[in-house]
Amino acid sequence: MPLRLLKYAISREHPAPRFFRDCVEPKKTYDVVIIGGGGHGLAAAYYLAKDYGITNVAVLEKGYIGGGNTGRNTTIIRSNYLTPEGVKFYDASVKIYEGLSEELDLNLFYSNRGHFTLAHTESAMRTMRWRAEVNKHVGVESYVVGPDEISKACPQLDISCSGQAPIIGALYHAPGSVARHDGVAWGYARGADQFGVEIFQNTEVTRIDVKGGKVCGVQTNNGYISTNKVLSAVAGFTPRITQMVDLQTPIVIHPLQACVTEPMKPWLDTILVSGSLHVYVSQSSRGELVMGSSLDPYEMHSTRSSLDFVEGLTSHITDMFPFLSNVKVVRQWAGMADLTPDFAPIMGKTPIEGFYLDAGWGTWGFKATPISGKTMAETIARDMAPDLIKSFRLSRFEDYELTGEKGAASVGH
Amino acid sequence: MSSRLINQPTEWIDRDKPFSFTYEGQKVTAFEGDTISSALWANGIRVLGRSFKYHRARGILTLANHDVNALMTDGLDTNIRADVLPVQADMTLTAVNTTGGVLKDRSQFIDKISPLLPVGFYYKAFHTPRRFFPFWEDKIRKAAGLGEVNFNYPRIPKPKQHAHCDVLIIGAGISGLSAALSVAEQGLSVIIVDENAKAGGSLTYDMADQASSQLAELLNAIEQHDNIRLITNAYAAGYYADHLVPIVETSGITKVRAKALIVASGAFEQPPVFRNNDLPGVMMGSAAQRLIYRYAVKPFEKGVVVTANDYGYRTALDLVSAGVDVLAVIDMRREGSRSPLIDELKDKQVAVHKASCVYEVIASKHKLGVSEVVICAYDELMAEADTKNKIRLKCDGVAMSAGWAPAAALLYQAGTKMRFDSGLQQFVPAELPEGVFAAGKVNGVFELSQRALDGQRAAAEAMNYLGKSVATVEVKQHQGTSPSHAYPVVNHPKGKNFVDFDEDIQVKDFINAAKEGFDNIELMKRFTTVGMGPSQGKHSNMNAIRILARIRDLPVEKIGTTTARPFFHPTPIGHLGGRGFHPHRYTAMHEWHIENGGQMTAAGLWMRPACYLPEGCHLTAQQATHQEAMAVRTKAGIIDNSTLGKIEVYGPDAAAFLERVYTGKFVRQKVGQYRIAMLLDEAGVMVDDGLACRLEEDRFYLTTSTTNSAMVYRQLQREAQLCGLSVSLANLTGAKAAMTIAGPAAAEIISQFSSVDLAATAFPTGSVVETQIADIECLLLRVAFVAEQAFEIHLPAAAGLSVWSQLMQAGQPFGLQAYGTDAQRLLRLEMGHHLIGHDTDGLTNPFEAHAEPLIAMDKTFFTGQRSLQIIAKKPLNKTLVNFVLDSNCVGELPNECNLVIDNGDIAGRITSIAFSPYLQRVIGIAFVPPEKHLPGSRFDIRNDAGDLIAATVIQSPTELAKSA
Amino acid sequence: MKLLQCPVNGIRPLSEFSYGGEFRTMPDPDSCTDQQWAAYVHYRSGAPGYKKEWWYHMPSGTWFIAERNTITDKVSRTYLLPKMEVAV
Repeated sequence: MPLRLLKYAISREHPAPRFFRDCVEPKKTYDVVIIGGGGHGLAAAYYLAKDYGITNVAVLEKGYIGGGNTGRNTTIIRSNYLTPEGVKFYDASVKIYEGLSEELDLNLFYSNRGHFTLAHTESAMRTMRWRAEVNKHVGVESYVVGPDEISKACPQLDISCSGQAPIIGALYHAPGSVARHDGVAWGYARGADQFGVEIFQNTEVTRIDVKGGKVCGVQTNNGYISTNKVLSAVAGFTPRITQMVDLQTPIVIHPLQACVTEPMKPWLDTILVSGSLHVYVSQSSRGELVMGSSLDPYEMHSTRSSLDFVEGLTSHITDMFPFLSNVKVVRQWAGMADLTPDFAPIMGKTPIEGFYLDAGWGTWGFKATPISGKTMAETIARDMAPDLIKSFRLSRFEDYELTGEKGAASVGH
Repeated sequence: MSSRLINQPTEWIDRDKPFSFTYEGQKVTAFEGDTISSALWANGIRVLGRSFKYHRARGILTLANHDVNALMTDGLDTNIRADVLPVQADMTLTAVNTTGGVLKDRSQFIDKISPLLPVGFYYKAFHTPRRFFPFWEDKIRKAAGLGEVNFNYPRIPKPKQHAHCDVLIIGAGISGLSAALSVAEQGLSVIIVDENAKAGGSLTYDMADQASSQLAELLNAIEQHDNIRLITNAYAAGYYADHLVPIVETSGITKVRAKALIVASGAFEQPPVFRNNDLPGVMMGSAAQRLIYRYAVKPFEKGVVVTANDYGYRTALDLVSAGVDVLAVIDMRREGSRSPLIDELKDKQVAVHKASCVYEVIASKHKLGVSEVVICAYDELMAEADTKNKIRLKCDGVAMSAGWAPAAALLYQAGTKMRFDSGLQQFVPAELPEGVFAAGKVNGVFELSQRALDGQRAAAEAMNYLGKSVATVEVKQHQGTSPSHAYPVVNHPKGKNFVDFDEDIQVKDFINAAKEGFDNIELMKRFTTVGMGPSQGKHSNMNAIRILARIRDLPVEKIGTTTARPFFHPTPIGHLGGRGFHPHRYTAMHEWHIENGGQMTAAGLWMRPACYLPEGCHLTAQQATHQEAMAVRTKAGIIDNSTLGKIEVYGPDAAAFLERVYTGKFVRQKVGQYRIAMLLDEAGVMVDDGLACRLEEDRFYLTTSTTNSAMVYRQLQREAQLCGLSVSLANLTGAKAAMTIAGPAAAEIISQFSSVDLAATAFPTGSVVETQIADIECLLLRVAFVAEQAFEIHLPAAAGLSVWSQLMQAGQPFGLQAYGTDAQRLLRLEMGHHLIGHDTDGLTNPFEAHAEPLIAMDKTFFTGQRSLQIIAKKPLNKTLVNFVLDSNCVGELPNECNLVIDNGDIAGRITSIAFSPYLQRVIGIAFVPPEKHLPGSRFDIRNDAGDLIAATVIQSPTELAKSA
Repeated sequence: MKLLQCPVNGIRPLSEFSYGGEFRTMPDPDSCTDQQWAAYVHYRSGAPGYKKEWWYHMPSGTWFIAERNTITDKVSRTYLLPKMEVAV
């Protein structure tokens, strides 16, 4: 047992302080107001304080921290994207994640498991090669593998998928990992709080004031706050926030569902994704299989569950792992994914001075948490987006310069 | 030692059917009707499993499908719930998650070191230094998890059924049964489900003697009624939109669609919290009653009842009548009880202590059971035990009753707003969604006669909702003491007073979590993992809410609840997945392809031959493809193209409609000609292409690619509605078969069946005619996609196989060869044609693909036109070219999607590449920088091995053939 | 599975339908600016509330309009596109 746990055994009082202060009433004014106390908003607050010394910051969360998509995703972290700008961005995120437990002194269970994107068709194989080639070019360890190598990593997988959709190969992505999603939010919250950032839960923004094209304040159910800089990092609630400042975006909201099984002893060491079967699965450190599928087919601002989702998913899971027939699904849930037409986020400045957007995270927001926090902090501090996120600017749509992630449609989790 | 009682009138076991099974190597007897737990308990076996985290011995807690510590494996199946699964003869069971057996589990040392494992300990350690984490992670992963999965477990896809009814009732207790009868008597159809083996709800164990005749009468009436379908051994797994409820039975899932839903699912008994309340022998009062009345098993020999409501008094009397030596009833309430049952108990010499608590239970040897209980005074308002005067009682069991939590999961999922009733100390429905009703304990109604009435009331409301006119029924408000206690918690400095038995969470874990800032119910759930185990908080969430309310000094209603999500009970993957349909479409010629060695691959839903490897042929797939392609170049080949989308566009505005949708011009197109029709999306991206054949002035026959056919037809339909033109559409994709005959001998072969003059002068490329081939009405086109001479035939699907076979036969002397999609892809590459969706991607515009000739920018409007006007002002980023590799090129052949590298940077990619046996060269299509578009430009491709391979841009590979 | 009312075929399960996005009016391509057109092509009114949407009943090939609350998923009415709403 690690010595760090010893103090819990010997001290009479629980020797751990609060993760973050219980802030009740916001001040009249802040240098920066961050809307959204999920991973992204908290990470931005943390890096604003740590990298730029901007500590007069309020994070406003309408529920509890990490209660949105941060606490609802299936925790996969990877950087095997299709475009060089995408790969570089997510690779930078992976690099931060690798040292994040130490930096935040909180065990995020960052677990490098390797990630296979299975291909069942020749056209899927082509896309795998495309991604592998771009990844390799940028220095990310991804390569195309055959069925034998997949079987070696996961001998339990039925390569023929019950004869329905035989696997002909995969994109193997060595850095593919999972982590404790809640911990990421809590760790950044604690880090930001230690620098003096104030975090307000149960605080909902109801209006954003813009005068002469500049942000000047936000009205909340917990008082009015004057500020010249507002970051919106609210994922599935983005359209409600952008509506407050009359900003047009391409974002539409579709639910993304997931489910977990009862815990079982570990057997699945890798992360598996199948685009054709619309399945992604990994086994958590608690022993549960964490499983997800494709997005719900129509717009909805709700986290209701559907039976179709879990029926389709489990049917495909048994194609891959026939022996799971009597393993039980314990719980299903959903998050609200903010989708863009080119499967890339929208980050940076907007036509409204002082209003910054961190949105369009679709199904890949969790893996970008550290780097989005860092780059948005830089954007706010310098009022200029760093090169790493320039291609994710909102104006790309008006300029017909969509990112190339749209090039190949594939399940993107 | 047997704990089996003499025959009980209410018992569910069949004593005429005894058998034996094995548990942890020990032979055990059982009767049919026993669950695994009841049989083990009857045999005096008390340790049924080990807990998840601390590996503490656990026995029976609820016997109600949330004894999550009594999970077993039979070697094949795992995580079997012993408390509810009927035991079967010759089962060989062991407890899951033990090291060396359930009694001597070597992992029980974790219980001793539990002070080292504070709440959320895994966040606090193991991560520094970073390199040691994988070591710790491996240990933690192995310690976690419950049962082991057997990889040889067979795939058991369960069929699914659908059912419809007017009213679906969840729970066949007194409320549900009364509701069912009321509804059925009005002529409406009812499905009523209950997860227990028999209907009757709590009356099968609580007040089972007194109420047995009333229950029997009711069940008899239910059975007589044609309108009622009663399903037992079945649980409602969740609520989904528009009253869809999956009912799970061992045999499979029935998806019930009801017009209205009555939830009469009862309540879960909640444990009081005191030290060692988890030892085998400590159980819920209702579990003790279930043992007695359902299985005729004595819960323990000598024990106490600890209660915080009046229910415990009934439990105590039941225990006495089952022959248990009840030493005392310990009532945690200051005032105790005014229940008349007290006198009955006193008559039976049972001591009743009010304002007292079980301070702790003393474990027997090796912590495998109960040896003593320690009783002392208790202040229920302060929730503090007064340990000045402690009494110790030697015993082997404790029955506990502290209150109830509504089994309201389905109500929550349906969107019910619940409120906390402080009189009842229970969450009850405040605002029900449309068509959803609640009755009985889940609705806060506890008194027996009122529960029946409440069922009738809910039934009346449901029927009125469904348009009947039924008199309403009045139900009396709850009177007397509260069925649930506000705070049945006893603190103890040494802890081990469990709140969540799934996850081994003690009172101090909540206090410490709150100290660390996790003082919101959702954050607390996530940090402590309360309610996240397999029972999903059925016995822990309510106490967790009460504890948090006390920590924060807030009323319970301010704390709220966590969100209830499906499933009500964990539900097997094989049940949910069902038989898993994988629909495929076969063309009319499918059978022929199979007989002739067609290597079928999926193209969307369709199955198509990639190539043919007939029996006895010793070719590889690539060799066969080359041979098929060569046949087309030198003789003739035939391919089944039936999968193409085929749409008839008809009406006076047909041509104008096509001009609006597609990029080209069609108004002045002559009858008997076809034109290439390219479709863009609104952003100007190339989406699909096909041929538009003008058959009459007002009738076009349109083809689309295989994969896009449904999408294009759908898009055309919407456009037809929007544009206000006079046009109708018919999707002929499935109705028509199609084939292409290509190669030098193609015309000659077809001529044997057709009177059309196929000479290039009489019937040039671009021609289409409605004619007869082999006496079948068909459409004949001269095309040039795969070869200079090629003909496409479209004909009724029913005649497809016959015409195909006749052509094959007639073509034999000419060397006619069937070819597959692989050869087709090679052939079109040799012709220099790109494929939309293969050589282009989701962002490619027509300028990048040199498709300008297909675009009439001078038209008034077509989809994508306005975007193209914008794009045209911008410089090109990339361009699609044909290329050839040097004939003396060495190194690994590049693959599709290898990158084009320019000065060490990505400059494009290969979209198609193949060795052409006809040209004896490697040819392909690539995206390259715009400045490389001229024939003769050189560029480098990086192959899989990382080597750069030089390529040269060419106008079209057909030039290579001419120069060769 | 949710139920949906096809104006031609009555109440059918959602699996028979496909979603066609919000019903939007195209700006006049001749008079609108490039920016206005780009906004029409790419931007969406993503805020929640009642929306007019395109839905398609696949077995019968019927396009129709549904007025749906995108928070509650309740459909208040469905109907075939009236002639007067035909654009341009």
